[in-house]
Amino acid sequence: MKLTKLNRSEAIRYLGYGGSTPDEKTLLIINDCEKKLLECISPAYVYRVFDITSNGESVIVEGTSLSLEGDDIKAHLDKCKKCVLMCATISAGADKLIRQLEAVDMTKAVITDCLASAAVEQVCDIAEEEIKSGLEDCFFTWRFSPGYGDFPINIQKDFLEVLNAAKRIGVNTTESMILTPRKSVTAVMGISDAEIPKGRRGCVTCKLKGNCAYRRKGEHCGF
Amino acid sequence: MDFKTLLKNEFVFLDGAMGTMLQAKGLKMGVAPETLNIEKPEWIIDIHKQYVDAGADIIYANTFGANRYKLSECGYGVEETIAAAIKNARAACEDGNTLVALDIGPIGQLLEPAGTLSFEEAYDIFKQAVVAGKDCDVIVFETMTDLYELKAAVLAAKENSNKPIICTMTFEENMRTFTGCSINSMALTLEGLGADAIGVNCSLGPKELYPIVKELCRWTSLPVVVKPNAGLPDPITNEYNVFPDEFAQLMKVLATLGVKIFGGCCGTSPEYIKAMRKALSDVKYTDREVKIPAACCCASNTVVINQPRVIGERINPTGKKRFKEALLAGDIDYILGQGIEQIHAGADILDVNVGLPGIDEKNMMVKAVKALQSVVDVPLQLDSTIPEVLEAGLRIYNGKPIVNSVNGEEKSLKSVLPLVKKYGAAVVGLCLDENGIPKTAQERFDIARRIVSEAEKTGIRREDVYIDCLTLTASAEQAGVMETLNALERVKKELGCRTVLGVSNISFGLPAREIVNHNFLMMALTKGLDLPIINPNVETMMQTVRAYKLLANIDLNSAEFISHYGVQKTEEKKPQQTVSLTLDYAIENGLKAEGAKITGQLLENTDPMDIVNNLLIPALDKTGADFETGKIFLPQLIQSAGVAQSCFEVIKNHLAKSGEKSESKGKIIVATVKGDIHDIGKNIVKVLLENYGYEVIDLGKDVDCQRVVDCAIENDVHLVGLSALMTTTLASMEETIKLLRENNVDCKIMVGGAVLTPDYAEKIGADFYAKDAKESCDIAKKVLG
Repeated sequence: MKLTKLNRSEAIRYLGYGGSTPDEKTLLIINDCEKKLLECISPAYVYRVFDITSNGESVIVEGTSLSLEGDDIKAHLDKCKKCVLMCATISAGADKLIRQLEAVDMTKAVITDCLASAAVEQVCDIAEEEIKSGLEDCFFTWRFSPGYGDFPINIQKDFLEVLNAAKRIGVNTTESMILTPRKSVTAVMGISDAEIPKGRRGCVTCKLKGNCAYRRKGEHCGF
Repeated sequence: MDFKTLLKNEFVFLDGAMGTMLQAKGLKMGVAPETLNIEKPEWIIDIHKQYVDAGADIIYANTFGANRYKLSECGYGVEETIAAAIKNARAACEDGNTLVALDIGPIGQLLEPAGTLSFEEAYDIFKQAVVAGKDCDVIVFETMTDLYELKAAVLAAKENSNKPIICTMTFEENMRTFTGCSINSMALTLEGLGADAIGVNCSLGPKELYPIVKELCRWTSLPVVVKPNAGLPDPITNEYNVFPDEFAQLMKVLATLGVKIFGGCCGTSPEYIKAMRKALSDVKYTDREVKIPAACCCASNTVVINQPRVIGERINPTGKKRFKEALLAGDIDYILGQGIEQIHAGADILDVNVGLPGIDEKNMMVKAVKALQSVVDVPLQLDSTIPEVLEAGLRIYNGKPIVNSVNGEEKSLKSVLPLVKKYGAAVVGLCLDENGIPKTAQERFDIARRIVSEAEKTGIRREDVYIDCLTLTASAEQAGVMETLNALERVKKELGCRTVLGVSNISFGLPAREIVNHNFLMMALTKGLDLPIINPNVETMMQTVRAYKLLANIDLNSAEFISHYGVQKTEEKKPQQTVSLTLDYAIENGLKAEGAKITGQLLENTDPMDIVNNLLIPALDKTGADFETGKIFLPQLIQSAGVAQSCFEVIKNHLAKSGEKSESKGKIIVATVKGDIHDIGKNIVKVLLENYGYEVIDLGKDVDCQRVVDCAIENDVHLVGLSALMTTTLASMEETIKLLRENNVDCKIMVGGAVLTPDYAEKIGADFYAKDAKESCDIAKKVLG
């Protein structure tokens, strides 16, 4: 997979601009950073489709050792018979570039960090589209990641293991369940043969809702 | 049967996949397959037997993930799991002609700097597995993507076992591993460390691996191993797309490249091994004539010494007051800055010398090398007179470095060369001995010859010895200049060694040193100098190197020269003349170079502290206020801070020269807590605090709780800033605060990070919650004044 353009407006929002537009000089720096970042990353994703069942308490991913715990993921996968487990990354190149920039130019480092966050979301979007296009006549939930709501983040290690993500796309986790390379995402997407009502995606299941910089300003992070 | 004997065969055959076979037997994904060594030994023995029957000469015991990190939740220990696995493998090959390999995969967590696992801990994890697997015939490290992790593994095997070592790494179609390791860097480093066979496994099928294997075969004289996947898996059915016969035919093609050892990885089965063995039965091994060039490398970049390559000399405290100050303060960022500046100027390799009375040189070498190799993409030259310091650096270096240096003294040869051999480095040989530096070219040549001969006796290739004929200062020993150059010429021609020379010394004590330096450099290049050690930041020096490469027909079509000098560099847009440029204007508009220049001018007649207090800080206050009110945004705030930083650098240099101490407003510790590696926010806080004149002790990321306490006590620090960005790491923040309180450290604690709230900060006992970097400065002012 290759990205040719990054979602700059998303990155600018991460930088705290809200509805404002950066000044010309900053925009030039953002351009530079985008170009450099695109050279350094190799986006990739891996996914598998599993049957799921419920044992009342949690969601069982068939053929694996995984069970998905928590009310939120249970609600998310309600009425789904299958799910997609996916993992996406923009690769270790981004981490290295950000480390290099931190040593010489913090402005570029911060901007690149935000661009990289936007980039991995783009990879997820593209992955989602590709996955969906391969599965006809299905309906999908949105992507729900470990750490959202009460879906425990400490599932990451087993999640990656099931996808063989370390071998396939180089994604690992630290003991504190931080994905490495840093700009990587794991997510669960429910698959149903009936239409799934929209909604719920937003602040309700977000851990940060009590102290969110976007919400304070009356904005929304876009999730 | 042993591995060495096996290599006398035309080809050596490994087994195929274990995981794929276990899944077919009903293993659930996500369950550690190694537990089956104990729970279902009959499954494992059966699979091994199938591979032995299919014709495998070596079978891999089911120990791929048997390390203490991966097994931590499975209920079995490393020792019992590995012992059971090897017993199972032995049970499958009772005839004794099949060898059993201890198979070790990646630990499962990335090493620093990408992850939090230290090199030393990685070594320890591998050591445990190697010791537990002592009954194997061969040790295999496979599916590695990080050369650094693999180096820890090979050292652990070499130092705790005498079994042969096979290393295979996993490359993607872009010819690199996920962590960016290149094929030549892998080959140079592993052959240097003493692996017995190297190669590639997993990731791709045999067809896609062709260019990768071809490149690898050019870079190593060791037997080459290939263990491809059966193509790629389908995400829905998980089935692979290359079948046994096609696989076997493709492997036959790989054999023409000079591959010696063949096996299969994910998706393969005994059928594949059988088919492959059959297909190769009438093929002869293709002997490779490999001439590995003189080269050094870091994991991502190999520098071949086939033309002049510049070694940057600036990471060295000799004669540099500001550098000494930075070393004494443990200011690694300063060293990083010096490194990156030289690379931008054109350095191919960086010399690293951190020797200074009053510091722990060994510890500092390790710190500096770790920091540099986490950001730069050039090889390092480890420079010290103390063998222990060299060894400490060699051990944790990721790649094949240069050791600077050995000389003709018996003591030096005996202590340095074995280190160079053990860690697979290249070495600079200085033409001096017990009697000092000889006067004549002949005597220096003789010493060079002795060094080369001793190196070869130790098992170091001639290509890896770079001879330094030593520059004497022209002002003191004018007649010696040509002796040096004549010796250099002879060493190059008669010994066939690469040559290295520190250039800048030539002009010591003379006026207009630059003129002497670059002319001497040109003379030396003409005589055959390969590795000038220079200050690449001096424009005329790099001009000379580039001009030489053009004139010597090295820089083909003058491409490099034209790219540097072909386009007249447009002058940077100067601010309009009507604005009288002031420091606050520069800070407000992010003009780094201007800010530094104005500071320099101001220092001519203004007290440094007046500049800080009356100009810099008010300007920063203003940008801080503008940020708070939403007039400017984070990138601009940081840009302004960057300008102020460059102003401070000018002031620090000024103070270092005049011997004055800069006034500190107080010390502050900043740290990203244990387990957390998000440090960009903490780094912004650091820059801002430093701008306000605070002395910031940056403990970095993933900082142990006790370290914060020890550092606070040791340095009498009264404000500690802690950062955490994960709900999973807030516990370490709480733990650190608890520990600071228990030890009655007289300090205030401020905390910040995305997942924190003011309430939570209070709950875990912090004194302040800082919502952003600006607020952390306000807190510092409140606490320290």
